[in-house]
Amino acid sequence: MTQSVTPDLSARVGSVLLKNPVMSASGTFGYGLEFTPFYDISRLGAVIVKGLSLLPTPGNPPGRIVETPAGMLNAIGLQNIGVERFVTEVAPRLDDLGAVYVANIYGRTIEEYEAVARRLSEVPALAAIELNASCPNVKEGGIAFGSNPEGLSGLTRRVRAATPKPLWVKLSPNVSDIGAIARAAEEAGADAVTLINTLVGMAVDPRTRRPMLSNVTGGLSGPAVKPVALRMVWEACKAVKIPVVGIGGIQSAGDALEFLLVGAAAVQVGTANFRNPNACVEIVDGIRDFFVRERIFRLDDYRGKLLLRE
Amino acid sequence: MPHGNPRFVHGKILHNTGSGIFYRMEVAIPERIDFVPGQFAMVSGWPGNDPLLPRPLAIFRSGGVRGKGTVEFVYKVVGRGTALLSGLHAGDPLALTLPLGHGFEFPGEDRSWWLVGGGVGFSSVFPAAAALEGQRADFEIFLGARTRDQLPPGEWIPGGAVPGRVHLCTDDGTAGFFGTVAAALRDRIDRRRPTGPARVAILACGPREMLKAVAELALPLDIRVQVSLESWMACGFGVCWGCVTAVRDGEKSGYRRVCKEGPVFDAREVVW
Ligand SMILES: Cc1cc2nc3c(=O)[nH]c(=O)nc-3n(C[C@H](O)[C@H](O)[C@H](O)COP(=O)(O)OP(=O)(O)OC[C@H]3O[C@@H](n4cnc5c(N)ncnc54)[C@H](O)[C@@H]3O)c2cc1C
Ligand SMILES: Cc1cc2nc3c(=O)[nH]c(=O)nc-3n(C[C@H](O)[C@H](O)[C@H](O)COP(=O)(O)O)c2cc1C
Ligand code: FES
Repeated sequence: MTQSVTPDLSARVGSVLLKNPVMSASGTFGYGLEFTPFYDISRLGAVIVKGLSLLPTPGNPPGRIVETPAGMLNAIGLQNIGVERFVTEVAPRLDDLGAVYVANIYGRTIEEYEAVARRLSEVPALAAIELNASCPNVKEGGIAFGSNPEGLSGLTRRVRAATPKPLWVKLSPNVSDIGAIARAAEEAGADAVTLINTLVGMAVDPRTRRPMLSNVTGGLSGPAVKPVALRMVWEACKAVKIPVVGIGGIQSAGDALEFLLVGAAAVQVGTANFRNPNACVEIVDGIRDFFVRERIFRLDDYRGKLLLRE
Repeated sequence: MPHGNPRFVHGKILHNTGSGIFYRMEVAIPERIDFVPGQFAMVSGWPGNDPLLPRPLAIFRSGGVRGKGTVEFVYKVVGRGTALLSGLHAGDPLALTLPLGHGFEFPGEDRSWWLVGGGVGFSSVFPAAAALEGQRADFEIFLGARTRDQLPPGEWIPGGAVPGRVHLCTDDGTAGFFGTVAAALRDRIDRRRPTGPARVAILACGPREMLKAVAELALPLDIRVQVSLESWMACGFGVCWGCVTAVRDGEKSGYRRVCKEGPVFDAREVVW
């Protein structure tokens, strides 16, 4: 007689405990509230909320998204209500939903990042802060903090000092050596690195001769980026000791398992939520089913167990 | 307008048949849904990841009883997604998120309603006509198309048999009024004098230039206009912020989501 044991899917990203390794990715899940008609969001490992900046940000003009083969480009330009309204209007509503929340933050200057992180430190509902060091769609300031180890190190150090919350640093894939970037974040005090953010891309209309996006370039996401993301997550896992959270093109439990296998502590699911609002929970269920079938009892028995030829 | 909570459902196509340049598709879904005319669904039926994103289609009709529903769409093939849809058959699965967005508002006032549809825009205007017919309200329908064969079949028009109710307009004069719907509306307004356009309200859906022309004609005459806008959408339920349109917000202007605050907007707010 076989006895079916419910596998233990619990995951850990530094000091943050998750009931399973599946989180929603920032900018694709609103504040989580938008998903409550579809399912109980406390079933997820965590919800990463939409990027917050110090001041309300109007975002880029229309022409913000375009579909590309098995992917999409976006140049939203971080339209958001600003940290103050988030803290006073949105955060109080999150308590009742019972999910683990992580805030994603963005600044045009280091001082703005610090101010946002400081303000969010006062929000008990937040388990961690994810620092977006690399939004490809915001031109102001011009400094892409995430594009070199020195810039990222300086930023991480300052934000680290500004908040007692666990600090996750979200890495840009638009770099030549992701391992060096991940190490810079680790050495500067990050509790975890999350990657990848979107790959900078472009689409033009041959007839009108115009770019499809008002911002000209945008960030590529979806299944098209998955192989690149997987390779980068694998390299980051080899480069650092802190947890690595894998993101990029995850659509199914199988995709998520690939990231876990190369060493990710957990994963985030972004673009897949658009076509299937239930994508995140279906991935949780799919991982559980896989573990039952494969007789894997704990996530840790599988995570990082990639078999390489000698 | 009350928003029914959106759902993500797996449906099964009951029929999907072409009629001239339009396809009409009925889908069986697990639950009956109530919708406000102008609301829409995000639809994806094809397997695989390309195209990746679902396509927005206005809800044309819904029916059914508890525990068993149907929903109907009308669409025109314009690109890859709609071409793939047109190749689906009865029995094929279809994934749907619905009902979505903010639909037309019908205050139960004593008004004359002018419903304006350009191109396939009738797909959100006919449900409004059906609702007004149910309320025994006074309404007229203006339909614009490039040519005669791009107009919807007459039997699709709710209450279309009532004399004087339907005004067809074609850009090439092959059917009805020779000219744009905006020109036909101008004509209709002139004929309504001396009573003037008081207590008329317009609901319109169609190409952006048409909506703009209708708004520019009607707003100065104090006719209330609601327009249903289109936009490229990724999610359809307010989380990606990809679909925005510029609106006047008091003194300032800002971007609102076509899928959430829209697709129906008060024409006074829209920045064309
Ligand atoms: C709320 C709403 C309701 C709608 N209701 C209906 C309806 O009831 N019936 C109906 O027929 N249609 C309706 N539409 C329009 C319908 O959604 C589109 O026609 C459909 O999405 C086109 O998909 P496709 O894959 O066939 O075409 P695509 O191949 O996606 O596009 C067609 C054309 O648009 C261009 N294009 C694609 N993406 C972009 C972009 N991001 N920016 C600029 N150009 C681009 C392509 O190059 C191509 O030339 C509605 C739209 C909205 C927003
Ligand atoms: C519409 C959209 C908005 C996004 N906004 C943010 C954001 O505000 N902050 C951030 O760190 N990443 C943002 N991202 C990146 C995603 O969180 C994720 O890193 C990326 O899309 C890759 O994952 P995916 O392929 O699963 O979508 C956004 C992505 C999309 C598609
Ligand atoms: S389509 Fe995603 S917010 Fe409107």
